[in-house]
Amino acid sequence: MVAAGATRPLPWSRRISRAAGSYGLLLPAALVLALVSVYPLVYGIIASLRHYLYGGDHGFAGAANYLYVIQDQTFITALSTTARYVLLCVIIETALGLALALLVNRQLAGASLWRIGIILPMTVAPVVVGVMWRLIYASDIGVADPLLNALGVHGVHVLGSETTAFLGVVLLDVWEWTPLMFLILLAGLQGIPQEPLEAAVMDGASGLRVFFDHVLPMLRPVLFVAIVLRSIDAIGTFDQIYVLTRGGPGVSTQLFSIYAYNSAFLFSQFGRAMAMVVILLAGVLVLAAIAIRLVRSGPGTR
Amino acid sequence: MKGWMRRALVYVALIAAEVFALFPFWWMITTSLKHQVEIFSGLELFPQAPTLANFAALFNTYNFGPFLTNSVVVVTFSVALSLLLGTPAAYALTHLPTESWLQKQALIVVLLVRMLPTILLVIPFYIVLADTGLLNTRVGLIVLYTGLNTGFVIWLMQSFLAEIPREIEEAALVDGDSRLTALRRIVLPLAAPGLAATAIFSVINIYNDFLIALTMTSTPDAQTVTVGVSTLIGKIQIQWGPMAAAGVVGALPIIIFALLVQRHFVRGLTLGAVK
Repeated sequence: MVAAGATRPLPWSRRISRAAGSYGLLLPAALVLALVSVYPLVYGIIASLRHYLYGGDHGFAGAANYLYVIQDQTFITALSTTARYVLLCVIIETALGLALALLVNRQLAGASLWRIGIILPMTVAPVVVGVMWRLIYASDIGVADPLLNALGVHGVHVLGSETTAFLGVVLLDVWEWTPLMFLILLAGLQGIPQEPLEAAVMDGASGLRVFFDHVLPMLRPVLFVAIVLRSIDAIGTFDQIYVLTRGGPGVSTQLFSIYAYNSAFLFSQFGRAMAMVVILLAGVLVLAAIAIRLVRSGPGTR
Repeated sequence: MKGWMRRALVYVALIAAEVFALFPFWWMITTSLKHQVEIFSGLELFPQAPTLANFAALFNTYNFGPFLTNSVVVVTFSVALSLLLGTPAAYALTHLPTESWLQKQALIVVLLVRMLPTILLVIPFYIVLADTGLLNTRVGLIVLYTGLNTGFVIWLMQSFLAEIPREIEEAALVDGDSRLTALRRIVLPLAAPGLAATAIFSVINIYNDFLIALTMTSTPDAQTVTVGVSTLIGKIQIQWGPMAAAGVVGALPIIIFALLVQRHFVRGLTLGAVK
């Protein structure tokens, strides 16, 4: 508006109608967003304060659901399983993604083909990913068990024991989401100016030195965005686990989402499930707040 | 280390990464093309007698057709509606002639909604849909997906729209066009590639969703492809062939769409934070 105002001031009536027009453009989206986010959220928080039994609402419960949930050993276990899962996945995916990005960030024959191949896993539905890995881990027709056999690890069914099942779903996550880290970090690397790096190489700095002294510091903002986004997504992991193990064997792969889902939709404990969700929400909000501070610097700088 | 050795090592590492990334796809496709007997008879990387029997069984015996129809209907309407709602809002946010406070707050709310894990939303969604009689309907799914995806559209579109020089549309505004006319006549044609990319990302996101469809639907009247795939797994004795075929059907359209927008992938994944 500055440019237009500078050349020819608009009459007030026009300015007001134009501003009203802008809000008019915003309003429908705002209403729909409120309808599918704010409303269910408020509704959900209210639900966490009520008793639900056999699908019916049985009145105000106060903090009963919260008290139940924080003493529920299975809930605590699900939280710690989720924490282990997220930590393990994000660390491995960041390391692998960064390594791959560094590999691809150079003159390569057929660069875009390498890239497409690497990012394919994250494009398909997580449910389909679950199917793929069911076919790999299956004890009768799968390739994982025979492969382990060939490597000298005998008599292991990946999804049959608690430790291997947990590692199995982590491997699936690494397969599916390392591409995300790779892509974001590759974009970050390509945004780094080359001159200081070349100067450093001229000065005789080794590859590792250049990486830690010059590349990593410049990559840091992008690295943070990638890690926070991935962590938030990983906390909500559901589909692949549902298809692959449903949380088993035992509760070894029962992530938070699976347990909350079971509580609500298998046992009709909406109140308790919402209490869990509200507790997790508090945690996610902290992460999201960090992410927003980082992401905000993106659009704002343009 | 010598230059050529270094280069060779890079390629070896890349090939290893590609094999790891692509093998699960290969295994699923191979399995979908094998006869039942062959699936159980060993670890052949190629089907010895390729057959489409599993795909036939998928659609005839397991009645997969309605799932596909539901997905197509739900995705089409949700994407169209959310683009219709989100694009003008994104435009208003990038070009609003008022204080930027509102812009920032609005974008943050939108981003926040986007970041909530789906499990946080499905329980309230379920209660609300049950109250309104929209459980197990395509309309119910369309309402939810439209709402959730509108936030995504706003973020991605404002990142594309922000790249259009303001001078161009200011000229149109000085000529006396209203905001809406300027958007339609000047801005949208310039933003067409971004709009297409946003649409395709939306298709991918909605088609791939599982948790919302799983909880809000219960019969093939409204169940989508991803839920259809999971029902095949729920069976006591898993039919590997048809299951692999269902996976292929679930993956194929998305891979094609993904290849179309792979140039914009980073922007789509980070909501414009990284390009």
